[in-house]
Amino acid sequence: MDSQLFLDTLLQRSPPHILEHARLVLVPLGLAVLLAFPIGVFLTRPQYRRYAGRVMAVLNAGQTVPPLAVIAVFLPFLGLGFRPAVIALTIYALLPIARNTIAGISSVSEDVKEAARGMGMTPWEVFTQVELLLGLPVIMVGIKTSAVLTVGTAVLAALVGGRGMGAVIFAGINFFRPELILAGTLIIGLMAIILERLLTLAEWFILPRHLR
Amino acid sequence: MIELQEVSKTFPGAGAPAVKRVSLQVKSGEICALVGPSGCGKTTILRMINRLVEPSSGSVFIEGRDIMKANPDHLRRGIGYVIQQIGLLPHRTVEENVALVPRLLKWPEGRIKERIEELLEKVGLDTEEVRKKYPYQLSGGQMQRIGVARALAVDPPVMLMDEPFGAVDPIVRLRLQDEFLKLQQSFKKTICFVTHDMDEAMKMGDKIAIMNGGFLVQHGTPREILAQPANSFVQDLVGEDRGVKLLDLVRVETLMLPRETGTANGRSVQALDSAKKALEVMLEHNVDGVTVCREKQVVGILTWETIKTYVHQAGSEAGG
Repeated sequence: MDSQLFLDTLLQRSPPHILEHARLVLVPLGLAVLLAFPIGVFLTRPQYRRYAGRVMAVLNAGQTVPPLAVIAVFLPFLGLGFRPAVIALTIYALLPIARNTIAGISSVSEDVKEAARGMGMTPWEVFTQVELLLGLPVIMVGIKTSAVLTVGTAVLAALVGGRGMGAVIFAGINFFRPELILAGTLIIGLMAIILERLLTLAEWFILPRHLR
Repeated sequence: MIELQEVSKTFPGAGAPAVKRVSLQVKSGEICALVGPSGCGKTTILRMINRLVEPSSGSVFIEGRDIMKANPDHLRRGIGYVIQQIGLLPHRTVEENVALVPRLLKWPEGRIKERIEELLEKVGLDTEEVRKKYPYQLSGGQMQRIGVARALAVDPPVMLMDEPFGAVDPIVRLRLQDEFLKLQQSFKKTICFVTHDMDEAMKMGDKIAIMNGGFLVQHGTPREILAQPANSFVQDLVGEDRGVKLLDLVRVETLMLPRETGTANGRSVQALDSAKKALEVMLEHNVDGVTVCREKQVVGILTWETIKTYVHQAGSEAGG
């Protein structure tokens, strides 16, 4: 083990890739939230609730396909690079967010919702002021799960020219340099922890005081 | 006034209607206790009055206005609604819970603040102690008081209460009932009160509406129900001891023979006590009569004979 190479990788070679990797995580994560959150909300509305099972089955199936396969499917249309990687990662991040949005909103007790309706809150007020706030902790767990998942999966983007930390790790694999693999993995681990902590911090600011 | 005309409700997918052609009037300032076994339709009736459930047929009027013509959210803001403790919003403090409807009605903040203090005091809570607390930090009795305060917030003329004292222990329940009746004496709200407990219905209701299987079986004052149960179902619900319960509903001063002087045998009850209390005093001390006092002034005498005759007469009013 060449500790000089390890340190070089950690401090010199990786930093540009860290930014690429961050972009590979934040863009799909943002897209996944924008897609999965409304889907989850719709599937908890009384008039759409009966579709929840079917939609979740599709999302579950999406989760079982290896990300590499997803990338391969989109390769003919989108070619190599950043965009196919983002699409594959987005599909991957959808499920935990949608599932937890449904679980979070459904977990709000019927009695509380009924009382809010009985007081004269409109359905929109019940949704924004009661269901969403009380379901938020569970919804945030879904977003955090997706975030951590995406930090790891985004390594594969390097295989289709999407760069990111995968570039460092795959270089290590190809040239039998465990130093590169170790340094890359270490950085990815740190990124996952930092992202999770940041999201927890954000949650703390949005949450009603007694749930903190 | 709340008026139901031939109201029925069949829930989608249910074979039999939950409520069958119920007509009911609750006069202004009166408490109507809806009582019956679970699944009898009493809660459904209550929820049709604030349109949490829409009637399948028939109409409901509040203060003469057809509720189906009102915006349901606006309608509900104008009706006090109390349910078991869980109805408080768990993520809001006591004062935010009480301020819920005033905020929906866009009251100015200053007025809301005054109202919160006034209400918490009225329901017997220390404003400074509880206003910043969350529901989970309160006792069952406190939560229930907050529920009542929240329902009273915008001073609605009509209130709906669904087993409001169901989730507290019996001792606290008795106290809450007494406190609420005291409040009602000054507020004079028109109230529909759902309970499965006949004793609570007798105590709280000016009128009692007995439901069974979606039908309104009997509607009348507690005395009418006790004296003349409409059928064997009501009789079972009322219990074996309806003679004693009747005595609980009548004051000593109503039955006593007026008398200006005399001390009889020294056993005395107050004129405003129930006849049941007088009976208990007689049984306890093995006497046939008690002196009736107002404060310390003797005003009459109540004898065992009088009580016996009263119960017998009330019972035979039923016609057999």
